[in-house]
Amino acid sequence: MNDRRYRSGPLAWLGIIVVSCLLLFLFQRILWLVVPFLLALIGYYLLFPIQQRLIMGGVSRNAAAYVVSAGAFAFAALVVLLLFPWVSAHAVAWQDSVARYIEGGLRFVAETLAWFEGNYAFAARANLSGQLTQHISELGDKLVSMYLASAVLTAAAWFPSLILAPFLAFFFLRDGWRFKLFLSRSVPNAFFERTLFLLDRVDHTARLYFQGLIKLTLLDALTLAGGLWLIGVSAPLVLGMVTAVLAWVPYVGSILGCMLVILVAATDYPGDPVMAYAAIGLFIWVRLLDDFFFMPMTIGRSLKLHPLITVIMIFVGGAVAGVAGLMLVLPLLGIVMVLGETIGEVVTDPRLRARHQFARELREIQVTGDLRC
Amino acid sequence: MIRFFRDKASVRRLDELKKLSLFVDLSAREMSIVDAFMHERNYMKGEIIFDEGEEGQAIYFVLGGRVLICPQGLVDSPIALLGPGSFFGELALLDDTPRAAQARAAENTILAVLFRGDFLGLMHSHAFIASKIAFQLARHLGGRLRSSIRSGQTST
Repeated sequence: MNDRRYRSGPLAWLGIIVVSCLLLFLFQRILWLVVPFLLALIGYYLLFPIQQRLIMGGVSRNAAAYVVSAGAFAFAALVVLLLFPWVSAHAVAWQDSVARYIEGGLRFVAETLAWFEGNYAFAARANLSGQLTQHISELGDKLVSMYLASAVLTAAAWFPSLILAPFLAFFFLRDGWRFKLFLSRSVPNAFFERTLFLLDRVDHTARLYFQGLIKLTLLDALTLAGGLWLIGVSAPLVLGMVTAVLAWVPYVGSILGCMLVILVAATDYPGDPVMAYAAIGLFIWVRLLDDFFFMPMTIGRSLKLHPLITVIMIFVGGAVAGVAGLMLVLPLLGIVMVLGETIGEVVTDPRLRARHQFARELREIQVTGDLRC
Repeated sequence: MIRFFRDKASVRRLDELKKLSLFVDLSAREMSIVDAFMHERNYMKGEIIFDEGEEGQAIYFVLGGRVLICPQGLVDSPIALLGPGSFFGELALLDDTPRAAQARAAENTILAVLFRGDFLGLMHSHAFIASKIAFQLARHLGGRLRSSIRSGQTST
């Protein structure tokens, strides 16, 4: 009866893109809720396989949610407890290190520009190294007072909302299935079976995306850390992890990650720009690996987005909601796409619409039957 | 929050489900696990549950009322009239082949629905429970096969 398959047309796609942009605009206003929600989803999909293993072992769903959440909380608390003395002992040194790394990075840039000026006449005429030195001396002391204070205040303002993330993840683990049943009750009978199937696809897509994101982060972090360790840059694992997490923000995150790697390499080996260039080369190689091998193996399989739409939407996301938009646009588009196709597939089926209309007429007759006598 | 999502009819449904042949081997605890995957739907007399040829994604259990199984649109040529305690659309648990007939509520009917995706999830998370259900399903299908062979022999 329903042998035709629904294919999203240009209008449906326009709707999907418009809805994604509107949601991005809205989410930008409630980032304090969206970011913990996303982190909670990542936590949920990270812990979900462990919960499933416990359930397979005979533990009830609720008990498994409690055990997994308590285990994750205990692990986080243990990490904080173990790291706290070390962090407090090194905090002052890190403050100095930040200044040292920035200085090392700037020195590297100045040396590179000076080399250009020495070898190319057009660069010498532009006198870029002189301008850079002047800007640095102007910024100098202002830099810390201008940005550090606001960064600390922003972090303090974000802290309470980030605490929401573990709570949300716990409730997703414990009550996620109840929410699915609750949601399905709002679907009319005629559309129920098809909607349930498509909702299952949404859940499947989201699970693949977030689990893919975790795998991708680990692969990126380990590959970069391995490379940095081979060329002798300090703290390779921390650098690999930080740059892999930064890469969650398309383009901007990669640029920031690359700058971070250059700062550390240039500071570790002052006067030896080859190491910084090696770090840049390594970083680009890891990004290429990420784009052509890791991402298709992990996230790419889940979203099935056309590369052109992906790139355009990243720019649109950045224009609509800034850095938050860059980060949110792809998962949001993926979910809106599946939801849009779900609604399109269900609503455009004339037989299902006719059955729904028939059911409404039956209900009308049933509830007005006694009124007619 | 749990109360907000809790299905008030679940206790009654659990009692009804326990009577079904498909769940006869399940303990009370196992039954409550299966019940967590069940959706309850109310159909009015005459309302179509699914059409012949539609892609099957779920098995239906009759908790109350009656369901007419018939060729598409031929209400006067019923294949079966199912009452409380019976189930239909069971082949959808095994594959996504089209429905073999139309199902229609013969009177106001309450159905419990188990979605195939959830049954497959149950096979992963609770393989023992799923195997008990699958075993009963195989027995049920075997019984139907035997009866159709017998009826074929009688007619020849």
